[in-house]
Amino acid sequence: MTAADGGMAIPPSARPPRFGRARFYRSVSPWWIALAVIFLLVFFVLPLIDNIQRSIDLSTLLLPGTQQNYYAKLFLDPYYLRVTMVTVVLSVGVTAICVLVGYPVALFLVRHAGRWSGVVIFLLIAPLLTSIIMRTFGWQVLFARRGLFNQMLLGLDWIDKPLNLLGGPTPVVIGLVHVLVPFMVLSIASVLRSIDPQLEESARILGASKTKTFFKVTLPLSLDGIGTGSILVFLLVNGSFVTILLLGAGSMQTLPLLIYQQFNTTRDFGFAAAMSNVLLLVALVCLYLQLRLIRRRGTVGA
Amino acid sequence: MSWERFAYFLDKTGSRWGLIAYVVLFFIYIFAPIVIVVGVSFTATSYVTFPPEGFSLQWFDRFFSYDAFTNSLIVSIEIAILSAICGCLIGVPAALALVRSRIKAANMITTFLLSPLSMPLIVTGFALLFFLSWMGLGVSFVSLLIAHTVVSLPYIVRTVAGVYRGVSPEYEESAAALGATRWSVFVHVTLPMIKPGIFAGALFAMLISIDNLPISYFFSSTSTNTLPVVMLAYLENQFDPAIAAASTVQLILAVIGLLLVERITGLDAMTPAG
Repeated sequence: MTAADGGMAIPPSARPPRFGRARFYRSVSPWWIALAVIFLLVFFVLPLIDNIQRSIDLSTLLLPGTQQNYYAKLFLDPYYLRVTMVTVVLSVGVTAICVLVGYPVALFLVRHAGRWSGVVIFLLIAPLLTSIIMRTFGWQVLFARRGLFNQMLLGLDWIDKPLNLLGGPTPVVIGLVHVLVPFMVLSIASVLRSIDPQLEESARILGASKTKTFFKVTLPLSLDGIGTGSILVFLLVNGSFVTILLLGAGSMQTLPLLIYQQFNTTRDFGFAAAMSNVLLLVALVCLYLQLRLIRRRGTVGA
Repeated sequence: MSWERFAYFLDKTGSRWGLIAYVVLFFIYIFAPIVIVVGVSFTATSYVTFPPEGFSLQWFDRFFSYDAFTNSLIVSIEIAILSAICGCLIGVPAALALVRSRIKAANMITTFLLSPLSMPLIVTGFALLFFLSWMGLGVSFVSLLIAHTVVSLPYIVRTVAGVYRGVSPEYEESAAALGATRWSVFVHVTLPMIKPGIFAGALFAMLISIDNLPISYFFSSTSTNTLPVVMLAYLENQFDPAIAAASTVQLILAVIGLLLVERITGLDAMTPAG
């Protein structure tokens, strides 16, 4: 049926001219699109392709004795393999925690905030006005040897001497979730808002408990929001290094941090390029998943 | 515990007030580090302490008398404003053309224009540094501006396209039918309607630019250091309230920017950006 339609389609030029008003008024010429596309092709796509070339390092490939395969080093050397694993585990972990921490807030924003919803949205967006260094510094002050946490614990007589709270995964995860959870809340809320509350009411009338309604109706319907939010947060963790650098205090090594250090001290640009290509690949996979989700949401919404 | 008992337990405890208490705790978590840094910046002590002891502006004085901070602050502001303007010059016409485009590939092109948002900034910055050096631009103000424009462009395209999609073509058609030229339709009809989108997108782009460390870092030199780059370098060596003062100054600037945009357009325009 569709194939036949496709075959029978009248080419646009052969269609009868439309009378009445033009279907679309175009305020700017479509050629303007070309300017933006060319700008990004030159200053975004070309540099990334150039980067792939740098990581393969053609000059050393020609001399077999000095050949250095950065990717073999990255995936076979136990140290770098561990760094890649830490990056992946950290990204997945922070994303999962953001879902758990953020979901109730999104639910509150959409279902219970009422006239306060504007305030809640403002409170979620307001931290964007502060720099990432400011927020990381705030956690450093809290976790410091003479910081608020240690003083509280000492005051409660739970500990005898100040603990070394900086370093290790805990402060890093707390800091990353802090920066990224608003994005998760907003993504989930935008999907929750599109769920008809009558569906939940029906489930309740038919005898489902509040909790059962949530797990059987609300949660499954909001999976798309969790999906978009997760991709966004995963990508952002995957590229962040400031929080890990300052709150990890040297105890944690991830790919972005290693790129930063390779550039800063070791100056092995080919290796840094190879690592950034791994991040690029992850980003492309995420972008693809994102597109598929958006497309699905588009059809579900229609 | 069986499913039914778990559900019963949640029903009893997961009341509305429980949720409200949770949300309050959540926002304490979100705002605690920010409040602490603002507090620390007013301390009279020579070391970081919270709650601050005494009140003094000495650390702001330190911030404004330390050339590395003030110079980088000026570079940051210049780059934020200029990259937003460049992003608008390239992005606004493209967004307008894409929304009303009959090209099949319009969706794909929009996705492409938004793709820098999905790329880790450290990757974009690293790749651009070598590419621009190869082009002969190297570490310079122009390079920094180009790099920031790559990131500001998608924010502007997204908000402007979002606003323009909601504008009926009939206004422009009426103006054109009544004899207005293309240019005057654009200036007197289209532009006023999409203005909130432009300002919201530009504000967003500027906030991102001011806080952009991963890209600025690769283009840093004494004349192109931005504030976050200098702050990170400072923080790696010292731990004193000067960083708190720098953060507070940056926060105040961001709030001023927000208020300016709010006066011009109203904050409702911010929602499609979120």
